[in-house]
Amino acid sequence: MYTFTVNGQVVTTRKKQTLLRFLRDELHLTSVKDGCSQGACGACTVIIDGKTCKACVPTTDRLEGKNILTVEGLSKWESEVFTYAYGEAGAVQCGFCIPGMVMCTKALLDVNPDPAEAEIKYAIRNNYCRCTGYVKIIAAVKLAAKILREGVIPAKSADDWKIGSRVHRLDVEEKVLGFGKYPDDFYMDGMCYGSALRSKYPRARVMSIDASAAKALPGVVAVLTAEDIPGENKIGHLKHDQYTLIPVGGLTHYLGDAVALVAAEDMETVERAKKLIKVEYEVLPTVHSIEEARAMDAPLVFDEEESNVQAYKHVSRGNAKEAIKNAKHVITQHFETPWTEHAFLEPECAVAYIDEDGDVRIISTDQDAYCTFHECSLMLGTDKVKAENALVGGGFGGKEDMTVQHHAALLAYRTGRPVKVRLTRAESLLIHPKRHHFVMDFTMGCDENGRILGVKAKVASDTGAFASLGGPVLERACTHAAGPYAYENFEIEGTAYYTNNPPAGAFRGFGVTQTCFATETLLNMMADEIGITPWEIRYRNAIRPGGVLPNGQIVDESTGLAETLEAVKEEYDAAMAAGKPVGLACAMKNAGVGVGIPDWGRAKLIVEEDQKLHIYAGASCIGQGLGTVLVQMVVSNTDLRRDDIVYERSNTWIAPDSGTTSGSRQTMITGEAVRRACEKLMEAKKDGKTLADLAGQEFYGEYLAKTDPLGADVPNPVSHVAYGYATQVCILDSKSRKIDTMIAAHDVGKAVNPLSCEGQIEGGVVMSLGFALTERYPIDENCKPIDKFGALGLFRAHEIPKIKAIVIDKPGLNVACGAIGIGEITSIPTAPAVTDAYYRLDGERRFTLPISGTPYERKGS
Amino acid sequence: MMAVKKKFPYRAAVVACNGDCPASAGFRCSYGCVGCGNCAAVCKFGAISLNANGVAEVDEERCIACGMCVKICPQQVIRIHECANSIVVKCSNQDRGKDAREVCQTSCIGCGICERTCTAEAVKVVDNCAKISEEDCLSCGMCAVKCPRGVIADLRGILT
Ligand code: SF4
Ligand code: SF4
Ligand code: FES
Ligand code: FES
Repeated sequence: MYTFTVNGQVVTTRKKQTLLRFLRDELHLTSVKDGCSQGACGACTVIIDGKTCKACVPTTDRLEGKNILTVEGLSKWESEVFTYAYGEAGAVQCGFCIPGMVMCTKALLDVNPDPAEAEIKYAIRNNYCRCTGYVKIIAAVKLAAKILREGVIPAKSADDWKIGSRVHRLDVEEKVLGFGKYPDDFYMDGMCYGSALRSKYPRARVMSIDASAAKALPGVVAVLTAEDIPGENKIGHLKHDQYTLIPVGGLTHYLGDAVALVAAEDMETVERAKKLIKVEYEVLPTVHSIEEARAMDAPLVFDEEESNVQAYKHVSRGNAKEAIKNAKHVITQHFETPWTEHAFLEPECAVAYIDEDGDVRIISTDQDAYCTFHECSLMLGTDKVKAENALVGGGFGGKEDMTVQHHAALLAYRTGRPVKVRLTRAESLLIHPKRHHFVMDFTMGCDENGRILGVKAKVASDTGAFASLGGPVLERACTHAAGPYAYENFEIEGTAYYTNNPPAGAFRGFGVTQTCFATETLLNMMADEIGITPWEIRYRNAIRPGGVLPNGQIVDESTGLAETLEAVKEEYDAAMAAGKPVGLACAMKNAGVGVGIPDWGRAKLIVEEDQKLHIYAGASCIGQGLGTVLVQMVVSNTDLRRDDIVYERSNTWIAPDSGTTSGSRQTMITGEAVRRACEKLMEAKKDGKTLADLAGQEFYGEYLAKTDPLGADVPNPVSHVAYGYATQVCILDSKSRKIDTMIAAHDVGKAVNPLSCEGQIEGGVVMSLGFALTERYPIDENCKPIDKFGALGLFRAHEIPKIKAIVIDKPGLNVACGAIGIGEITSIPTAPAVTDAYYRLDGERRFTLPISGTPYERKGS
Repeated sequence: MMAVKKKFPYRAAVVACNGDCPASAGFRCSYGCVGCGNCAAVCKFGAISLNANGVAEVDEERCIACGMCVKICPQQVIRIHECANSIVVKCSNQDRGKDAREVCQTSCIGCGICERTCTAEAVKVVDNCAKISEEDCLSCGMCAVKCPRGVIADLRGILT
């Protein structure tokens, strides 16, 4: 019997388990998040006897007499102060790290009411945040300290909820106080737990599966194999090549392939049962790299395919070969970028159950509830399926594929019981698709003035064990490799290969992060060769309104690349004049899917019984703040006030399908659909009607972002309806050799919420500082990736440089009140800017990420 | 006693020895603290003293990390660490597991459990004794909780 105090209540327990499991599973204090159970992430941070402690570390037997505090135990005053401070500072995005951060805030401020910035960073440095880049969390702690010292909560600095207003996000309170629910926070009556037995080998044939011993284990509810799938076994975004379960006789493609599913009364029984399943394999040679995949006698990753080529793209305009031949300056270079893990703080989780209509209802953390609906319907062979989003603890592209949803759905369908399927952190690191590893060969030709004449390139990517979005990622890598410059001759050939490595798919930047590193580095080398600055070479080549991109598209009036360059000019010149090592890079990124694919935004505004207008759009908020954007859109386009409006999370039975949260598209595309629905609402309100008069009515809006397909037979195809542009500058401190300042100027069209825009920029920059300098995702010779979250090399709070986010606010396009998405581009130019700065410091050019020879390199490894 | 304003991030000396060898039997581990008291004598701040086990112990509140004790310690078991890194290996024994086990109840036997558990890959067993890289450590204390020998301590007193 162990006795201790939790939030002022004395509790006793007999069971020896981690404090985290006790708090969540027994006391249901779900503010205490399980982000890894490895001691790495900090999402489980609580306060024990006044000191922060990760709750997944101590077991109950070590806690005798201790006093434990969670966010639920904060006083009313503290709750109000932290909610205000985190909201005012814009510190909350996906929110999964936030209760842990709040605990760190309290523990610090209790002993140090006026901490210096360095002390704040230290107080949160053992907690990771993948969304914010820590900048605004640090600001929130500072603000909370001030309020606690002064004893008064000031008025919010913005409260009008119009577009352009820095309002507090609508989900701040539920995330700061931890009552908002992510799927793992659902505990249903009669719920059992499910998990998959994964393949023992990356490439093997499953010869037999014997589940009899597992089924006989008391507490086991079901053991399922491929035969139990009523519909299609194979699912996937475009290509259906992702097996729900590998059948007997089938080939495994990576260590994450599921062979059997177990559901049991508790997780311990699930794990025990998994060990009792006997699977016989015929072990086969693996394909471990791009090299091996394209070898003449390479083993085939898929039985169904004739080669390991998953996708091939060829994009060409003008005559690159000829242009380069005639160019005065030509540079050719080989580049490599690594695999990258999304490292969202919330591991994948879904809860599925049979609802009152007899449908399989899936509560999931994903980037598109409709995608979950379609994939699970396909697999179950019925459309009696509903999907809805709970809070999503970060995605960054890594939650676009099915990882747990289909398994939870199948288990619920077969057992009739609510089932929770949650990946452990080690599973998450293995299973969801990563950022593609790319190898790239680029040649660029310029004239004596640094005008780009032509670029020719050949790239290859490792798309791993199934297609996921490997094809579109490759395509975007190719189309955007030309960069945001006005020239006519461009040719690129790209190939994506299947291997037995973990799958690769969407990741913030969608392939552009990789090819941008090559193009921008070449431009920096070219500037040196010509004898002008990297800034100047870009200013000379920059695409400007009315100009023609290498893909043939004539860009519109909103094009703001030159403005982003101008915005950094003063500081760039000053740093250069002071002799500091400075690096610079630009980027462009589409908003919207584009290239001829029908890209629909849809929204329904319903006046419900509460006489409020409810926003329903089948569009996921994955932490970026879509709900807030849509409410600001409604307030700006109607005569309603914030309090008249309720934002509803995405679902598939009321909300219309508004597409995946991908390609930086939701703000613009769903935003425009909402704006159109507002027009109808205002029409109905014309003769002085109030919401009460309109109760029960629906207002529907839809918007199709129309584009031309790649290779369309028109002189100037519109590949994308909009592009965002950016310039980032990296200034090093010569003495410490570390980054002093990152300046990031972004053209976002009209900024709906500048506070959120800054948060996206800071988060994107810090994420890509990791990509440039520290992050790793090693895969060993058995195709097994790293399984430790704390060893990924993510930036910690005390390691971040100063980050200056510049939001270039312009009228934008005549869509969604001028807003253009910013989600991805924030991460794109960072790595080449950093790399160039290090070249200016030590004269060494670097062509492989993460770069070596910096103080950020891990000493130990 | 001098009062010194300390600069953030705070640092202090730490003694890498638990001192659990049976001193009563007049026996001391050859790698650990021998209780000579040189450190206590040289410290101008009264920050280091011998505890009940006859082993040097640091008072982090008083210590300013001047490093005098580090220099004078004949056993070289004292080093300077960042106070924020509260999880520390309190052993310097380099004997192989079996021998290390015999000399002390809380000696590191180089079993590597900590190395395998550590999410940050911050612990390495070097010369049969665990070492934590302060830069990489996330101060979670998982190693301290999992170590079968109680070698690793949480200086804040929460986990150990
Ligand atoms: S777990 Fe303990 S005994 Fe084993 S190597 Fe680590 S510190 Fe030494
Ligand atoms: S405290 Fe945690 S991060 Fe540090 S060495 Fe121990 S296990 Fe690793
Ligand atoms: S869940 Fe405890 S540190 Fe990640
Ligand atoms: S807000 Fe910190 S991880 Fe998402």
